[in-house]
Amino acid sequence: MRVRATIGAVVASGSILMIGWDIGLANMQAASTVDTSANSAGAATQAAAAAPATAPATDAASSGTSAAAAAAAPVPAGAADGTYNGSSVNTSYGSVQVAVVISGGKISDVKALKLTDQGGRSVSISAQAAPMLRDEVLSAQSAKVSSIGGATYTSSGYLKSLQAALDSANFTG
Amino acid sequence: MTTAPWHHDRFAAMGTMVSLGVQLADDAWPAALAAAKAAFEELEARFSLYRPESELSHIADGSLTLPAASDELRDAYALAVRWRNETGGAFTPDRPDGVLDLNGVVKALAIEQVGAVIRAAGARNFSVNAGGDILYGGVDAAGEPWTTGITDPLDPDVLLTSVELFGEHRAIATSGFSERGQHIWLHGAGTGSFGLGDFSQVTVMATDIVAADALATAILAASDGRPAAFADLAGPHGAEVLAVTPDGAVYATPGIRSQITADS
Repeated sequence: MRVRATIGAVVASGSILMIGWDIGLANMQAASTVDTSANSAGAATQAAAAAPATAPATDAASSGTSAAAAAAAPVPAGAADGTYNGSSVNTSYGSVQVAVVISGGKISDVKALKLTDQGGRSVSISAQAAPMLRDEVLSAQSAKVSSIGGATYTSSGYLKSLQAALDSANFTG
Repeated sequence: MTTAPWHHDRFAAMGTMVSLGVQLADDAWPAALAAAKAAFEELEARFSLYRPESELSHIADGSLTLPAASDELRDAYALAVRWRNETGGAFTPDRPDGVLDLNGVVKALAIEQVGAVIRAAGARNFSVNAGGDILYGGVDAAGEPWTTGITDPLDPDVLLTSVELFGEHRAIATSGFSERGQHIWLHGAGTGSFGLGDFSQVTVMATDIVAADALATAILAASDGRPAAFADLAGPHGAEVLAVTPDGAVYATPGIRSQITADS
């Protein structure tokens, strides 16, 4: 039995941008909250990672919806590999610009290029705190996987688990 | 000396399945396997709340008090309390209904003991996978660093990604709401009912399996609307985290993040 190693279906690029937009807003809010203390502490990454993401999800989502169309426009469908910058958009949280990385004809990354808080100061983004999009996560190289980790399965659930498939391959091989 | 062969076996224990892969001389394997099974059975006999005759069940029904309990039980309790303190109470052995439940550390202890008996038998390269929580020794059958496939919480038949052990890390544990969440209860829920928090699945890579398991449970349980706060819990222990939110976004600490993204 072959171990399947696939990521969920490709999401339309507009939706991806919208998700990226939401992430950008959440991060910006988190980072701007600790802007002053982070600088004085000299530990921007740790502080930003611990900062509360106080932007209400509903606000971020509604802002993202209206902004997504503007940001999505510069990204051609079926584009050649490369990095494409979206347009900068002003929101109540400040201006945001995202870039989309296309690799192998698929979106492999969405980055926030520019985030500013309402005072116009640049804010740092914590790599540690930033969520990744599912499509950004590399799919597993199944041939190299030796064991399967995941939420605990029951002994009956094991029978249909990927670990069972892997074990069976080991027993016969 | 020729290279020892790899042996694989699996057995049911603690309501799940234990899968072993061990590179060991043929004549040493049967005893090592028996010792591995015995380690699980002994801990299960003492700590299972599904067995009315277990020592922990006697604590639960009031017929035995902690001061009169065995050293093994009190050690496990002390370990659970230590991790409760390390995680600010997010990991706890105290069930909402008042019953002392050491399941959160006992499975990890069993995995750790199996690792010890396998090493004592002379093996250096091995994997012990108990229901998706894994302890590794040495390298895999190809002589490469161990690589773990992490299941997708939205579809356990599919791998979300894979992560390779690095540095001093030897263990990977995952907690999730997708299958068994019996020792997870969200703070503030009050009712002991299960529900989704910041994450639907949390995987932790650490230097030992008890730490990995406790941190994965704590990060999953510590829902407070601040997904990025997982760094507070994992950071002091040098642990790496891969966490998935109910809507599918993935959070990771830098060591794992650099492995699983093409561009970082």
